[in-house]
Amino acid sequence: MGLRTIPLATRKHLLNIALCIGLIWGVYDAIMGPDLVSDLRDFTGRYGAYLLLISLMFSPLSKRWNWVKRNLTMRRNIGVWGFIYATVHLLIWIMLEFYYDWVLMLDEIAGNLFILLGIFAFVLLVPLALTSNRWGLKRYGYRKWQNIHTLTYMAVPAVIAHHFMAQKSDVLEPLLMALVLVLVLVWRYRNAH
Amino acid sequence: MPIKSSEITPEKVYKSRRTLIAAGLGILAVPLLDKGYGLLQQKQDELDQPLMPEPSYAEVVERPLEPTPYETVTGYNNYYEFGYGKDDPAKADKTLITSPWSVEIGGEGADKPGVYDIADIKGEHGIENHLYRFRCVEAWSMVIPWNGIKLAEVIKAAKPNSKAKFVRFTTLNDSQQMPNADWAGGPYIEGLTIDEAMNPLTLLATGIYDKPLEQQNGAPIRLVVPWKYGFKYAKSIVKIELVEEVPQTTWWQQNQREYGFYANVNPRFDHPRWTQATERVIGQLGRKPTLLYNGYAEEVAHMYPDQNNRLYFF
Repeated sequence: MGLRTIPLATRKHLLNIALCIGLIWGVYDAIMGPDLVSDLRDFTGRYGAYLLLISLMFSPLSKRWNWVKRNLTMRRNIGVWGFIYATVHLLIWIMLEFYYDWVLMLDEIAGNLFILLGIFAFVLLVPLALTSNRWGLKRYGYRKWQNIHTLTYMAVPAVIAHHFMAQKSDVLEPLLMALVLVLVLVWRYRNAH
Repeated sequence: MPIKSSEITPEKVYKSRRTLIAAGLGILAVPLLDKGYGLLQQKQDELDQPLMPEPSYAEVVERPLEPTPYETVTGYNNYYEFGYGKDDPAKADKTLITSPWSVEIGGEGADKPGVYDIADIKGEHGIENHLYRFRCVEAWSMVIPWNGIKLAEVIKAAKPNSKAKFVRFTTLNDSQQMPNADWAGGPYIEGLTIDEAMNPLTLLATGIYDKPLEQQNGAPIRLVVPWKYGFKYAKSIVKIELVEEVPQTTWWQQNQREYGFYANVNPRFDHPRWTQATERVIGQLGRKPTLLYNGYAEEVAHMYPDQNNRLYFF
């Protein structure tokens, strides 16, 4: 019935296409809006954070629901797309917001803990994204690969903290994200194996 | 089937995994720690930063201002009563009834209180055009050609007495006309000292670009105080009161550590969570340095005796 009849590989393609269209739509919407820079920066930041958080929810939820378990390998696609959104987010910051003004950027990083957190998260995500493919798995072997990818449990908290601190006042959304993340982390801690 | 020993994670590995996960929980607590640290530290470090080099200040202030396009000024707004997003106010249904509109002027500091129709207010005092810098507390900026009257004239007409120490502004708060009217749990309140209100820079704007204000810009009448952060510019004003006590402003009540009463623009005093040293010019690439009092030091600095007191600058 429904999705189940579609082969997993096709489902993954559909997911990739959907998230790619999502990104294109975000760019289009920002171009049509009054301020491309902040619209696109906030769009990619927010939805990149959602994708990364969702990628962490697969593991605990797959223990509860079979349909999550059947789609467990889609976690990698979602994680990689989260990284792509984060990359666009960072590039906008460098290219559009600061227009390659490196001195000003360093100033901004020094004066803003939340930007430092964002950069910290991105640096942690780079090795994960680079190894999120067949080559990476083969190169390191499952055990070691999994160890590398445990870094995600530090990167995503940094992303959510970054998102939280970037808000002017309305922190309900990042608080809810943090709550979900705490549940995932506590579950993961207790079920570390 | 017995588990092969190679499938069991060595204790060392899962312990190190646990350490990483615990570290993740720690990272998530960073905003809390940062907040606690900020409360303890009492802003002393901000005072240690050097003053802005004054010659360049004068030079920058003299530069001609490039008005932000009309579509941008009317498309990128903070007006939470019409939604939290920057384009929500522009996209919202035009539900605000701006005609007829009256403004009540009163308070214990006014000897001649009254309720005035907006048309009368506009007709009685001359409409002036002023091209001002606009600086949001969120570190973005625009340049806006306002049309409006001097607030000082409206206040003089209300015959202020010795009790008129502050001016309190109240925004319309009507859930029939504003989809998110209740976001702050009451009407949006802003305030100025009487000196600030009487300053010739201070306007009650009724238009931009020689067009009547749009709903998203605070139609039909709003405050303009160009040396202060944008949240001071109360929109869709229904009441102006001359009062003795300092008004409890909306953003102050939202967060007393981050949004003060004076909220004068100052690149040396950072917001607790982001820098105010630079600003993003909406519609342009890159950032530019923020100016003390948003470039209006000559006109307003005399009202603030202590340039090192954070009280005046958040």
